[in-house]
Amino acid sequence: MSEIPTALAELNEQEVARLVRERLDAGDDPMAILNDCRRGMDIVGERYKAGDYFLSELIVSGEIFKDSMKLIEPHLKTDANASATRVVLGTVKGDIHNIGKDIVAVLLKGAGFEVHDLGIDVKPATFVDKLKETGAPILGMSGLLTPSFDSMKETIEAVKEAGLRDKVKIVIGGGVVTELVLRHTGADAFTDDGLEGVEICRRFVQEVK
Amino acid sequence: MLPESMTGEQRVLAAVNLEVPDRVPIAPLIYQFVLRHKGLPIVPLAGGDPANWPKMIKAARDTADELGGYDAVYAAGISWPISSWRLCGPAGGRSVTPGQDGIPKDFSVQYEERETMTPEDYDTIIERGWNDFFRDYYPRVTGITLEQADAAQKYLLGIYKEEAKYWQERDVAIMSGALVISCEMTLSLMRTLPRFMIDLHRYPERVKAAMEAMVPDFIQNTIEHVEASGIPWVVFSLERGSGAYFNLKIYEEMFFPQLKKLVDAFTARGFINVLHFDTDWTLNFPYLRDLPARACICELDSTSDIFKAKEILGGHMCIMGDVPPSLLSLGTTEEVIEYCEKLIDVVGRDGGFIMSSGCEVPPDAKFENVKAMVDTAKRHAAPRS
Repeated sequence: MSEIPTALAELNEQEVARLVRERLDAGDDPMAILNDCRRGMDIVGERYKAGDYFLSELIVSGEIFKDSMKLIEPHLKTDANASATRVVLGTVKGDIHNIGKDIVAVLLKGAGFEVHDLGIDVKPATFVDKLKETGAPILGMSGLLTPSFDSMKETIEAVKEAGLRDKVKIVIGGGVVTELVLRHTGADAFTDDGLEGVEICRRFVQEVK
Repeated sequence: MLPESMTGEQRVLAAVNLEVPDRVPIAPLIYQFVLRHKGLPIVPLAGGDPANWPKMIKAARDTADELGGYDAVYAAGISWPISSWRLCGPAGGRSVTPGQDGIPKDFSVQYEERETMTPEDYDTIIERGWNDFFRDYYPRVTGITLEQADAAQKYLLGIYKEEAKYWQERDVAIMSGALVISCEMTLSLMRTLPRFMIDLHRYPERVKAAMEAMVPDFIQNTIEHVEASGIPWVVFSLERGSGAYFNLKIYEEMFFPQLKKLVDAFTARGFINVLHFDTDWTLNFPYLRDLPARACICELDSTSDIFKAKEILGGHMCIMGDVPPSLLSLGTTEEVIEYCEKLIDVVGRDGGFIMSSGCEVPPDAKFENVKAMVDTAKRHAAPRS
């Protein structure tokens, strides 16, 4: 087994960077190196689920993954996301909280999804336009405030009006999102945990197949 | 309604002392809701057009009357004493006001985090202490001189004390005489949360040493602020230290020791410590038993398990909260009553409980739901063993 997954799982930044450079210099398949980084992220996720790692470890692992991607990407001959499931992601209209959404974006990339991150304060029409442009089967919306619930609902209405609702699975997330909010908005799933958000997206992939 | 034999202040103090008051006290954290309810612009505390402040103060008083009154208030009107430049580390960020920057006018006030501190600043704090560091940092990142900041602080404190007097004359307790933002929260807001987490991973000893260097000034600043306000209550802003963010080893070795030093110092002065916990602190509850008994309030925002808090902290510190914001906004009145009765039945058993919103009553809460929360505290008796 490559050392990269272990080093990444141990959050050893310098060692991961060294190993990635070493393998790139040796002419290894960059896609294989990237997949090893993703395996490292999977181990981090397992440790998080087991309660051994916390959000801070997820953030640090995400940083290491991003740094590794910067080294690997120039060497990739094909798009790393060629066969990846696309996810449109953003913090909803009126809400400028980005941390939770950013965490999910990194975790989704680490899990092999192609993420189209629209940023914060995203209008419903912008979500719809991106869904149309990318054909993404998954929409993730984030919001930390109670008025954001109506923005989520409004966006889902816009997705319906665009005729996309039966083609797109929708997950909402945020610290105060509850079952009540799920019912209010009409989304398919909710979470207050970034990694669970990734699990939900993986489940969606199985459901839309 | 239950018969009453105590004033609001007596009721709240009884809960802090883990005694059984005549009924469960009610102390919602309520500010933006009031503004929206009264059709005023939603602005940050002591923000917006000062010409509107008298209307905002009146709105707070009138809304309290419409809701039937509280036993304690957190923010006394337009402000609370958080304006101390020496306490407010995250000065580099920006409050985003609804109606500006494209944010809908009926949204909440939000805080835009910016990276305003470098890793090298940890070393400056270690060498020079917090106040000395802040004398350079604050004008640099805000463009406001310390003289201006001091003058604004003094002016706002004057308004605050006037407002406090209004409530105190009505036997309503004022729960904040100073606000202190925890060391980890302060640094993470100045560095941004992701950068702070990476700092902790890369150079934990450096971050720890900076936090240790902050504590003496935080203690002194807070004591001075409480003396100036005349209100011996300290609110701790605690969010970014919980088990929702950090492993317990970091909490135990780096964060909790600083919290304990602060709480011990304030308790020795006879202050009451309101530990305002946002995010899920359930994993951290056992540590709180090392804080002095009957000196703190564990205030929860609905994301921690308040029932677990009762199991672990009951008999040691008062518990406050935690009616969920989503319930106040989207729930039915019956659902609110059901939840509040459960809080009283379980967390309120044998005293030591203050009914409150989970963090702030959201601006879009339904009036009838907020009223139901207030009324349930006054109507539903807490059981005794």
